[in-house]
Amino acid sequence: MSATTAGAFARSPAEVKVQRALGRRRKLVDELVRWFCLAATAVGLFFLASIMVTLLWRGVVALDWIVLTQEFQPTRYGDDSLPKGGLVHAIVGSLIQTSIATAIGTPIGLFVGTYLSEYARGSKFGYSVRFISDILLSAPSVLIGLFIYQIFVLPTGGFSGMAGALALAIIVIPVVVRTTEDMLQLIPNTLREAVVALGAPKWKMITLVAWRAALSGILTGILLAFARIMGETAPLLLTSFGNNILSTDLSRAMASLPVSIYQQANSGFPDLIEIAWSGALIVTLTVLVVNILARVALRKRK
Amino acid sequence: MNDQTQPVTESAASFGGVQARSEAAINHVSRISVRNLDFVYGEGLPKALKGINLEFPDRQVTGMIGPSGCGKSTLLRVLNRMYSLYPGQKATGEVLMDGRNLLDANVDINELRSKIGMVFQKPTPFPMTIYENIAFGVRLHEKLSKKQMDERVEWALSRAAIWNEVKDRLQTNAMGLSGGQQQRLCIARTIAVRPEVILFDEPTSALDPISTLKIEELIDELKRDFTIVIVTHNMQQAARCADQVAFFYLGELIEVAPAAQMFTAPREQKTQEYITGRFG
Repeated sequence: MSATTAGAFARSPAEVKVQRALGRRRKLVDELVRWFCLAATAVGLFFLASIMVTLLWRGVVALDWIVLTQEFQPTRYGDDSLPKGGLVHAIVGSLIQTSIATAIGTPIGLFVGTYLSEYARGSKFGYSVRFISDILLSAPSVLIGLFIYQIFVLPTGGFSGMAGALALAIIVIPVVVRTTEDMLQLIPNTLREAVVALGAPKWKMITLVAWRAALSGILTGILLAFARIMGETAPLLLTSFGNNILSTDLSRAMASLPVSIYQQANSGFPDLIEIAWSGALIVTLTVLVVNILARVALRKRK
Repeated sequence: MNDQTQPVTESAASFGGVQARSEAAINHVSRISVRNLDFVYGEGLPKALKGINLEFPDRQVTGMIGPSGCGKSTLLRVLNRMYSLYPGQKATGEVLMDGRNLLDANVDINELRSKIGMVFQKPTPFPMTIYENIAFGVRLHEKLSKKQMDERVEWALSRAAIWNEVKDRLQTNAMGLSGGQQQRLCIARTIAVRPEVILFDEPTSALDPISTLKIEELIDELKRDFTIVIVTHNMQQAARCADQVAFFYLGELIEVAPAAQMFTAPREQKTQEYITGRFG
């Protein structure tokens, strides 16, 4: 390089000073932003950790075989000779209602999501359906409970496990719609064209190839929906209401973990509150396990 | 190397050191005839193809070249009605095969696609085993016993020159193959349906040179039984593979000629400019 070209870009002492000052400022802002992010993360983690630790601490104390195998018993007022109660009615009720809800909501969500991705791309109607589904996704769940109360509980003459399952199914649908559509959108169009180019009708393209290509993503969505309704309380209060005995009759009121937790934690009796803690632990652990399963399934895909 | 000692003379029928086919090699029996074809991608949009007239000779390779957006891929997607997937896209005119206009509304589109297969730019293996990839297309059109299906799968994979590489792993997922293997798998999948015509849409543009060579050799071998149409950006490839070459520009067919003539003595000024690299 010649001296003249180097000279053309040389900075004067004043320019060098400005450049250094700018550099110092940049470094300072850089550090500030970094520490702000770390601090915010610490605050968030603190609350999460304190919830988890408290839950584990109080939940594990009361968690025993009786909680998992016995039905509700009234408070013992400190008299240990009386039978201790459990949550088996709530565990069974929750499993029944969430399973039925997933079984009803999944196919509907799957087909709506498929419709949006494969048939309604770019159409106005598709846009509206997607918009409404997204609103439903974030609708307050008590509204869904009220809705089922109006159209199912009142006409059928009372609270029932079926009503609870229906309310939960309505929560499942938009979750599955969203994930199904998102996962199908990830499939390259050339794959669809390659299937059709072999002379396959569209429905075979969707069921035999597109769904298969999106399978792990769709499964993840279903598991996440399952985890979500495991912990829903509000829609069940107005539909399956809760029950103190083990019941598998879908036409009668049915217990569920979240509602039992709510009722026993509200009772004011220390022994029942203890059982509520262990119920909360059971729900949380179930949701955790399902979430981990979902993540493992999704990772396999990549 | 022997090549070094040979005299460097440009023969009339060579292009970029590649021997291209001469007039005598062209088969004048036409498999598909395109007549006065117009195409639009949507209402109000300009025509993507304007008054195309082109014959595709039986069991020969037609290469389609031209700059991006010239309409060559569009024409390919008209031949197997791929455009029908997208509402709004519309072709008018005639595409004649066995005396029928393929653009007629009453043509069974799935049967048509079993006769005119297509291989895409990017390899598109289905998310299933190698065996199932091949069997998938066959099952759409034929009911075969397990034994017949096994034979068909082996036949197709052998024709696509990939049987030896995959015969011990037929039940493994096809996504695990290399890019070049995946593309030959896709060719095998297309052949397995026993089409009469195979359309190739830039089949090697996503592949390395060795895989490209294999695919080109394969195309040369396949034309004994299939009529082949290949869209390519690579003019050497067109010269190596094609018997007849068609040059497109701005939606029009500028010139069609035997490969040898096209690359050495094009009639049109535009063709001359394109193949010598003055634009494109």
